[in-house]
Amino acid sequence: MKQRGRGIACMWYPIGFTVDANPSAATVKVNEDGTATVLTGTVETGQGSLTVLGQIAAEALGIATDDVHVVSADTDTTPMDTGAIASRTTYVTGNAIWLAAEAAKAILFETAAPMLGVKVSQLEAKDRKIQVKNYPQRNVSIAQVAHRSQVVLGQPAIGSASWNPPTVAMDPETGQGKPFATYVYATQIAEVDVDDETGEVEILRIAAAHDCGTAINPMLVEGQVEGGISMGVGMALQEEMLFDANGRHINPNLTNYIMPTSLDMPEITVDIVQGYDPTGPFGAKGVGEPTAVPTAAAVLNAIHDAVGVRVTSLPATAEKVLAAIKAKRATEQKQIPA
Amino acid sequence: MNEHSRILEHEKLNIAEPLSDADLRLPAMVPREPFPIETLTPDARQQTRAVGQRATRPDGRLHGLGQTKYIDDLSFPGMLYARIKRAGIASARIKRIDTSAAEAMPGVMAVLTGKEIPTNTFGPTFQDQPVLVDEVVFHAGDGVAAVAAVTEQIANEALDKIVVEYEPLPAVLDPVAAMREDSPKVHAPDSNIYATKVIRKGDVEKGFAESDRIFEARFSTQMIEHVSLEPHAAIADWDANGRLTIYATIGRITLARSDMARTLKMPMSRIRIVATIVGGNFGGKNEITQEPALALLSKKTGRPVKGVFTRGEEFTSTTTRHPIIMDYKTGVTNKGRILARQIRLVLDGGAYCSWSSTTLGKACILSPGPYKIDNVLAEAFVVYTNKTMTGAMRGFGAPQVCFAYESHMDDIAKALGIDPLEIRLLNAFDEGSSSPTGQVLHSVVVKETLRKAADRFGWEPRS
Repeated sequence: MKQRGRGIACMWYPIGFTVDANPSAATVKVNEDGTATVLTGTVETGQGSLTVLGQIAAEALGIATDDVHVVSADTDTTPMDTGAIASRTTYVTGNAIWLAAEAAKAILFETAAPMLGVKVSQLEAKDRKIQVKNYPQRNVSIAQVAHRSQVVLGQPAIGSASWNPPTVAMDPETGQGKPFATYVYATQIAEVDVDDETGEVEILRIAAAHDCGTAINPMLVEGQVEGGISMGVGMALQEEMLFDANGRHINPNLTNYIMPTSLDMPEITVDIVQGYDPTGPFGAKGVGEPTAVPTAAAVLNAIHDAVGVRVTSLPATAEKVLAAIKAKRATEQKQIPA
Repeated sequence: MNEHSRILEHEKLNIAEPLSDADLRLPAMVPREPFPIETLTPDARQQTRAVGQRATRPDGRLHGLGQTKYIDDLSFPGMLYARIKRAGIASARIKRIDTSAAEAMPGVMAVLTGKEIPTNTFGPTFQDQPVLVDEVVFHAGDGVAAVAAVTEQIANEALDKIVVEYEPLPAVLDPVAAMREDSPKVHAPDSNIYATKVIRKGDVEKGFAESDRIFEARFSTQMIEHVSLEPHAAIADWDANGRLTIYATIGRITLARSDMARTLKMPMSRIRIVATIVGGNFGGKNEITQEPALALLSKKTGRPVKGVFTRGEEFTSTTTRHPIIMDYKTGVTNKGRILARQIRLVLDGGAYCSWSSTTLGKACILSPGPYKIDNVLAEAFVVYTNKTMTGAMRGFGAPQVCFAYESHMDDIAKALGIDPLEIRLLNAFDEGSSSPTGQVLHSVVVKETLRKAADRFGWEPRS
């Protein structure tokens, strides 16, 4: 018979390397038509990071995402970057790009201030224009300013910058220190059906609430959460590399190493919890890895809630769950008084 | 022209109104009308402000149309195909490698062994990993020789012609057994324990003494592969000027270039790494694998050389997620407040360090959970075994310890008769809480995520 259960798990996860420097550098070039090109040494590995980085540059320059092209991942042409690791791209590379865009914007402002007859400190970049703060009627297009900067004044609007998260080394005896600049938090709650005759677990739904500071692109955050949960589902119930007595891997193929497919995926709801980190670009932190962290824990707690057995080793395969159910029944039977 | 701006006539922008995105794109390969592949939110990419917009990805259209060019879609004139012979034995000394039959095959252009690699070690923390093993095999997925041939089929056949004679050595497979002093050493003569971490805060013994109840449990996790859709793949092109270009599916080109410079003894200015579109990383593509071998095969033959791992190699010859044995001991009050927590983690590090010391550190720091605990002692060890190396994988040990601390939390809640949500809200970090390493935490929203998820799920306390 199928037994239903629910399980909750929360987590914390750091952004960036543990203490060690993990800098990013970036260059932002404003073209003379007001569009921009970003150079970054990070790599798009499928998570949509280049889109997010383009949005950060666009926001800083007051232009649209579509106005920015991001060039990445060529050691001959792009500035150094520690790379797509440690959930650091939005936070660390994002900060570098934001600072580089600010440097390029400063050149535009220097050009625009005499055009608008005000001081640099009175300017802001918004809606593809450079305008006077609190008096947006007085404005000039970024295209016009960028063109003038480059073609008339001979001062192209190009900015470069680097950023490294601040940390404090850990004491070797006690581990006390500030290993990371910032952390994100999340909770996932799973609902499962466990068949108490076969041990089979079906995950019905997962409610995921994740913190990433400002969500630069909520759609891509949701994508990360759904992808992370699919990894968590595999870790919870299916995936395991097995070795024989001689140390040879016995299931090095997708026939015998079982991974979740779309048919194994539960219904997922994603909530992005409102947050703002003043140390991140426009308040953003990161979201890549944490999405895969609490899923297995939530599923295993739901199995416990459903059939009262605590599986302490992953994955909770049907065989393992059934063996635990049988062991529990055996002890329960012994307790029946004669 | 804005009346307030002072722009002279000759300074005016001489740029025509640009064509729209739809006019600039190539036509789709599929009929547009029956398959609506246009973006769900067509305007998001045109919005200012840009931050917070559900902007679509520019690469999404190419992926959707099957037009993205991965490594295996790239080809250069005269390009050769490389394959690597794997040891297939977990621990052994190599007595002899005979490549002569393979080299004599028509279509085989070059064979490479470990002895030909200028610096045959690499690794992000400890340089303990050979590109191709030359004397000792550390795990069954180790490469012993590489072949470049005009077709992949010939390269595969050549692997069978390479004769390797092994003297088997005792293999260490269990991480706990590997910690014993009398255990055979994976990287002799050093201890198998290659990194440790300690977090000590407050006084756990005092905390346990003050606790009403003490709970103990052991949890363990399995070895997991990243299983990226695209396997590890690279093309090496060593040109006549002695400049090397590597096209690779790799997430960290800066580190990759320094690893290439080290293994090949080349100045960095002579190496160009281009990361193409990476078809899945998840931590598995954070370092070089076959790239130095491909480079040297290209140097030997004067032709570009492509190497693409099989799915089997993805499992046995690349990094995986650490199995961890996790012992938890927690002292709580009857009301559910955690007073002390002691943790011991043993990570199975596999044959090479790779990102193990990072995983060890993160797992140790995160192992007490997002909870206010004044007395913490967490100790973590990572040990060598003669198995596939473990390394970076999404979460760096966090999914493993989260499974342990959250399972443990539910067991405590159940024993004390407290709702699982309530016990978490009771103990969770607040803004300004001190972490296990004494760090004052900012922008802490763990309770908000608990409440939000509970709301969405419809979590009701059970009496």
